[in-house]
Amino acid sequence: MTVKVFHAELGTAIATGLLGLAGVIGATELGHGWTESGPEAGYFPFHVGLILIGASLWNLVAAFLKHRAAGSDPEEPFLDRDKARRLGVFIAALLVFVIVTLTLGIYVGSTLYITWSAWRQGGYRLPLALGTGAGFAVALYLIFEAIFRIPLLKGPIEPLLGIY
Amino acid sequence: MENFDLLMHGFGIAITPMHLMLMVGGVLMGLIVGVLPGLGAPNGVSLLIPLTFALDPTSAIILLSSIYWGALFGGSTTSILFNIPGEPSSVATTFDGYPMARSGQSTRALTLAFMSAGFGALLGVIVITLLAGWASNFALKFGAPEYFAVYFLAFAAFIGMGSAAPMKTLVSLAAGLLLASVGMDSVTGSIRLTFGFEDLLGGISFLVVVIGLFGIGELLSTVQEGLRFRGVASKIDLRDVFRTIAELPRYWATYLRSGAIGIWMGITPGGPTAASFMSYGIARSSSRKGAPFGTGRPEGIVAPETADHSAGSCAMLPMLALGVPSSATAAVMMGGLMIWGLTPGPMLFATQPDFVWGLIASMYVSNLIGVVLVLATVPMFAALLRIPFTIIGPMIVAICFVGAYTVSNATFDLWLVLVFGLVGYLFSRLDYPLAPLVLAMVLGHKAENAFHQSMVLSDGSLGIFFSNPLVSGIMAVGIALLVLPKLVSMGSRLRRRVPVE
Amino acid sequence: MTKTKAGLLAATALMLAAPAWAEWAPSRPVEFVVASGAGGGTDNFARTIQAVLTRDGIVESPIVVLNKGGGSGAEAFLYARQNEGDPHKLIFGTNNVYLLPHVAKLAYTVEDLQPVAALALDEFLVWVKADSPYQTVMDLVNAAKDAPGTIPFGGSQSKDTDETLVALIEQTTGADFKYVPFNGGGEVGVQLAGGHVAANVNNPNENAGQWQAGAIRPLCVFAPQRMAESEPVSGDMGWHDIPTCKEQGLEIESYQMPRTVWLPAGTEPEVLAYYQDALKKVAESQDWKDYLAKTSQSASFLTGEELARFIETSEANAVKVFEAEGWTAQ
Repeated sequence: MTVKVFHAELGTAIATGLLGLAGVIGATELGHGWTESGPEAGYFPFHVGLILIGASLWNLVAAFLKHRAAGSDPEEPFLDRDKARRLGVFIAALLVFVIVTLTLGIYVGSTLYITWSAWRQGGYRLPLALGTGAGFAVALYLIFEAIFRIPLLKGPIEPLLGIY
Repeated sequence: MENFDLLMHGFGIAITPMHLMLMVGGVLMGLIVGVLPGLGAPNGVSLLIPLTFALDPTSAIILLSSIYWGALFGGSTTSILFNIPGEPSSVATTFDGYPMARSGQSTRALTLAFMSAGFGALLGVIVITLLAGWASNFALKFGAPEYFAVYFLAFAAFIGMGSAAPMKTLVSLAAGLLLASVGMDSVTGSIRLTFGFEDLLGGISFLVVVIGLFGIGELLSTVQEGLRFRGVASKIDLRDVFRTIAELPRYWATYLRSGAIGIWMGITPGGPTAASFMSYGIARSSSRKGAPFGTGRPEGIVAPETADHSAGSCAMLPMLALGVPSSATAAVMMGGLMIWGLTPGPMLFATQPDFVWGLIASMYVSNLIGVVLVLATVPMFAALLRIPFTIIGPMIVAICFVGAYTVSNATFDLWLVLVFGLVGYLFSRLDYPLAPLVLAMVLGHKAENAFHQSMVLSDGSLGIFFSNPLVSGIMAVGIALLVLPKLVSMGSRLRRRVPVE
Repeated sequence: MTKTKAGLLAATALMLAAPAWAEWAPSRPVEFVVASGAGGGTDNFARTIQAVLTRDGIVESPIVVLNKGGGSGAEAFLYARQNEGDPHKLIFGTNNVYLLPHVAKLAYTVEDLQPVAALALDEFLVWVKADSPYQTVMDLVNAAKDAPGTIPFGGSQSKDTDETLVALIEQTTGADFKYVPFNGGGEVGVQLAGGHVAANVNNPNENAGQWQAGAIRPLCVFAPQRMAESEPVSGDMGWHDIPTCKEQGLEIESYQMPRTVWLPAGTEPEVLAYYQDALKKVAESQDWKDYLAKTSQSASFLTGEELARFIETSEANAVKVFEAEGWTAQ
């Protein structure tokens, strides 16, 4: 699976265009006119949304033109197989980290994430990796909760240890 | 000379063993707070407010302001080393600071940043010392149209010169403006673009977006190239620190210009973040030779850092003399002032000279302490980059998410960081500039508010932006900054075309 | 960790030693959820209470403060709804708790929160620039009648307490001002001192500095009686020398903003009693009296029936204004 720059350009232009569309739709609910006391609440989002749609269309067309001009020449790949795999693994790990953090809290989440990375990707022995992860979580706890009194996201495990 | 005597009196108050201890402690604490993204200076300061009830107001403000200076210094550290701005005002430092560190000169980049920051703060305090009375009167002249003009000027200075494709710049700018308008609009009181999602009610936090775009986005770019930091095999040498200090005088023009911009934005309530962007933009458009900005130009670090800190220290003036905080941290300190029973206002200088001049004197001392302490930490921070990526990488990720969470204790923000991380990666791969998006998020809503207020005042007439010399002057400079570079480049293109024909 | 644990142990020990002291006590850190950003009036209110509670040992558990000021404070109240029945969260606000749902479509109602106490009343005054031609509030009102929609009246936020008061003045007198919303009281104060607006309705501590400097002066206060005696603030005038608006012929009996504390709905009655008791001790402390004096707010400790009645009247009055202005949501 090789992603070409062309595909990435298309996807980005469509995404930014949709963001603009969302702005326009959201603004029409508010009224986007100009009254005697100046613009209504939706005036700016509406027009900025239109500009965003216009500029996205421009980028879309530009990408198409460049694609056609390139013709049958091999295009610059956006991601080759190797990079795509590395990036895929990293993003998947990020996603799992966020989900674990949301269910089990940030301490468990970051311990597991750091342990996994050091163990599987860094090739460190498991006990060492686990120690690093746990040490990091303890440092977080000391800095945020003990010194600055800022509560971080906790899951069901911390209360069992007497930490609220 | 009257101010000079008062300042000497202030030094007498500020320099006691107890106060020096508070300064060192405050600066250290601020460094920690500033280094961790999300946990910014406003947090650090507000957490200590209840503790300050036990202190007299002068000691309390010395402690709180020292945290602020420490946080400003610390914020640049992560910007340079990991492309993660620890404080909003150090976003612009990432543009050249991070590339320089990546090219193996992290010590030089950090030293440049800290020395510039210290110099900027010094300039700011000198202005406060000399011009306290004049500057607060000047700030009173700023109504809604003038505010809008200042924001417009900041935009113009930064946007006017850009190397990216214009339509991509426009997309980035428009997306930022749109994101900034989510949530409650204070002028009309209506809730905008939340589409019924409660999580969006409070708006999309600028810090969360920045953590995603820069921190996570940069990690993704790093990972794509392999599981290690690019080109950070630099050796750490204390001599590098001194070598860098020796090269500083070369940038005297950048220093003076950036200091002036910072002072201007600190007194007119534009704030340090706007100042750093504006200063970076102007440094970029006024540089003629050498490597392009964004690739690790020393001026690209000097300009935003000097402006950031001179604005940060000048921002104390409107807070003390007018009761208008021009940064989030100043707002918290002002809250403290009121709890201590001091009324910010023009009379504070007359009724509480010990407090005011003690604070001003302490600003000299604690910034000096700040520079020394932070320079001492340079080798330590630079050594962080030698930790293998498979360990420090996930730690940075965790800190990014923790930081985003602490901004408003919302789990929704964790998803935002992830999404903006992907956006940041895509944008930088496809040459969409990120800076316009960030600037639009910082200033977009403020500019819109000021514009809207002006329209209410003028019954919808745009003439209000040219209704007096002050506002017309600022608008004219802004328009010139926006248009001139384009004209110049068009002119040179025309001239080049002539011989061909 | 040790601190937290020690605190917890101490709390448990106290509970065991003196069961009659209170039937319920927090068993984990208490969250103070503040419906404003750091540094706002509500933030100072919450942090002052935090300091008194902690220093005097009234609440043994650690107290953490969370700022949730998004959407004019709606964020904090939504948070209360999401944490229904949680006895370790106190929400700090003003009258915005029960007024916001009337002007904006929000996913909470006032039933999602349980009022605990009101601890102070912040006063509203009409201020003008020192060299302005208006000597009484009626001068200002009459000027607005003569030239409708031209006199700029500054205030903080839109459809919030300030604009409500200006609308109330308009509805009472038939005058017509040009209301200009700014972001906060401090900013409005400077706009007035700089002459960019003709008047504002700031709270005392938002404008005290400029008054002290002689840049602006108060016309009247929206209270049933004059404010408490104080040291002279500007020249020989103190807070008590400011006439009430009623004295000057403006028929608005009172307009005050309560500083209120709430629990999420659905907690046990013992929890409510515990916090009422703790807050009462705060209200009686010297530190609290100092805070009120320094910020020129009026003392007023309301709980239970009294508080419910206060909220009912205050809400009804405001809703009348909202309806007349056409601000009500839905």
